[in-house]
Amino acid sequence: MATLDETKARLLRGAVQDNIGVVQGVRVKRVTRQTRRLKFWLSGSLVTVALVYLTVAADMVRGRAPLQSAAPVNVATPIVNVELTPEWDAPLSHPRPIDRSAIPLSVKTIVIDPGHGGEPGATSESGLTEKEITLDVALRLRRLLKEEPFEVLLTRDTDHRLSLDKRVSFANENKADLFLSIHVNSMEPHTIRALETYYVGPTDDPTTLKLASRENKESEYSLSDYKKILEKIYVDARRDESRALAKTIQSQLFHSLKTANPELENRGVRTAPFVVLIGTQMPAILVEIACLSNDDEVDLLTKPDYRENIALALAQGIRRYAHSLTLAERKGS
Amino acid sequence: MEESNEALCVGIDLGTSRSSISASTGERHVVDSYVGWPVDMVARKLVKKSVLIGREALDNRPMLDLRRPLERGIMKEGSDKDQEAVQELLRHLISLAGIKQKGKNKSRVRAVVGVPAEAFRVSRQNLRNTMDGIADSVMLVSEPFAVAYGLEALLHALVIDIGAGTADFCVMQGRYPTEDDQKTLSSAGDSVDEQLDKLVRERHPDAQFSVHMLREWKEKWSFVGEPKDRVMVTVPIKGKATEIDITQEMRSACESILPPICETMTTLLTKVEPEFQDKVRNNVVLAGGTSLISGLADAVTKALNDLGGGRATVVTDPVFAGSDGSLAIARDASSSDWERLSL
Repeated sequence: MATLDETKARLLRGAVQDNIGVVQGVRVKRVTRQTRRLKFWLSGSLVTVALVYLTVAADMVRGRAPLQSAAPVNVATPIVNVELTPEWDAPLSHPRPIDRSAIPLSVKTIVIDPGHGGEPGATSESGLTEKEITLDVALRLRRLLKEEPFEVLLTRDTDHRLSLDKRVSFANENKADLFLSIHVNSMEPHTIRALETYYVGPTDDPTTLKLASRENKESEYSLSDYKKILEKIYVDARRDESRALAKTIQSQLFHSLKTANPELENRGVRTAPFVVLIGTQMPAILVEIACLSNDDEVDLLTKPDYRENIALALAQGIRRYAHSLTLAERKGS
Repeated sequence: MEESNEALCVGIDLGTSRSSISASTGERHVVDSYVGWPVDMVARKLVKKSVLIGREALDNRPMLDLRRPLERGIMKEGSDKDQEAVQELLRHLISLAGIKQKGKNKSRVRAVVGVPAEAFRVSRQNLRNTMDGIADSVMLVSEPFAVAYGLEALLHALVIDIGAGTADFCVMQGRYPTEDDQKTLSSAGDSVDEQLDKLVRERHPDAQFSVHMLREWKEKWSFVGEPKDRVMVTVPIKGKATEIDITQEMRSACESILPPICETMTTLLTKVEPEFQDKVRNNVVLAGGTSLISGLADAVTKALNDLGGGRATVVTDPVFAGSDGSLAIARDASSSDWERLSL
């Protein structure tokens, strides 16, 4: 049995090591049964990747579309008392895009997630809140997609608080084929009026990390949960589909809005570890449709026409993405 | 353990609502986590200071650009002013502890600061950067771990540190806690305030009150379980001072944090090796300002009974438990450790 002083010394070593890890970008992690299970899971994933690779190689021989190779997954981890593992936002592996024709997909159910609710989210100086805008645009989008052959579900259609994990569960339980989370940004300097679309992935950009930290506040997931889920993403074709969806939506939004908002900056498609993107099991994106920190954009957002334009662009982006899947499926068959 | 004689050690609990410092000089202080700057020359002339901190800032808030720079137990992101506010708050705490920060005889400061158990790495790095120029070396530890260390509750204990912004959980099993041993919830004192605000406004739509009034009511009369007395407060209604009964609203708001806290406690308990679960259930320690809600320990003990029995107790000094624990860590760390953590 360790004495109190010995236990304290052990705890202090852990605390110092943890702090050095934070500074250097690694985190102390004990070797646990979970770690072993994760290694086993990663080994299994490696086998799966290898099998897919072999299948594609056979397809290439038959003259069909090739599936590009996945980078090897490093499962080697030193087993010592205090183990240093890469921080959760460090890349674990770098999968290449998978040819869509290899995996037939189609969009039947769409979940639209109006960000925030109950609590206001970002707020303009004049008092316009993110929760109002996101809900308004989501309701418009649902109306616009009503005539399409999709089932459209909203995570919330009133102003009430909804935790991020409940939004994720809602999409997963309804077996959604596509998840679109709508948000409004707040940035400094206030002159910025930017449009950006995110899909899940790591980021080294401190501004994006801050944004993710802010948007993830309502989550009841623990940091260890994020890490485990993120580790799975890198061998997941869903990420590539999310990127394709993000590109389509971002392009459609920017081209549709720049006439009414000529100073709008196209910040493009980015990756970030937003909770709603991490936990969802379908192609998922988060769109920051405007900046509440910019007075001119606030003026535009108060106009129903501008909000309708945003919803129209989102609807058109979704249609284009769904159509591209149908084409890919036909090509595959 | 090596005593760090050549430098002054401080333990800081940087809280969303209140921040405390315990120093190796023997000083202990707590301040409200508010920082305010006079809005114009007139205000500056009246308050006679360039920056006001704590209660003084709250009392003069109409004349100030008032900031509550910590949110959910960590620095607010995205605003330089909030970062400046945290620096002012830290400098103020260190000056209260009698530590000289300028001049030839400037003290060398080794600081241990408590942060939420699951604070993001980027948040921890931001805090480290903010302390540059305020302390010479910094160690960030999870708040419940600091409490456990200070109480020497290092084995078979579950510490729940309930502050304003977060409730932080940590199971102590004789080793440095990992991510699996810790949890952070956003259901804490501030969510009680939000609930209370909503419930009182629903019942008394014409009543006028501020969040500061709500917090004062909560600090005086918060409770869970059966009320001992009616909670009566005076508020303006259509300009007339009116006494209203908020007993039921206070109870409902305070009890709203119980389900997530008890659920998370249960989740962490189930992760403990089965033969030790009984010991941990009987050693649940509540700390932090929100643990002062009357009847909270009894309610948690009741929840433990559903798991086969146990006991929750509130630490003797919930406000300083975190900073005292951090100070104990600071004093016990060796000089070579501190050198590795210098800024």
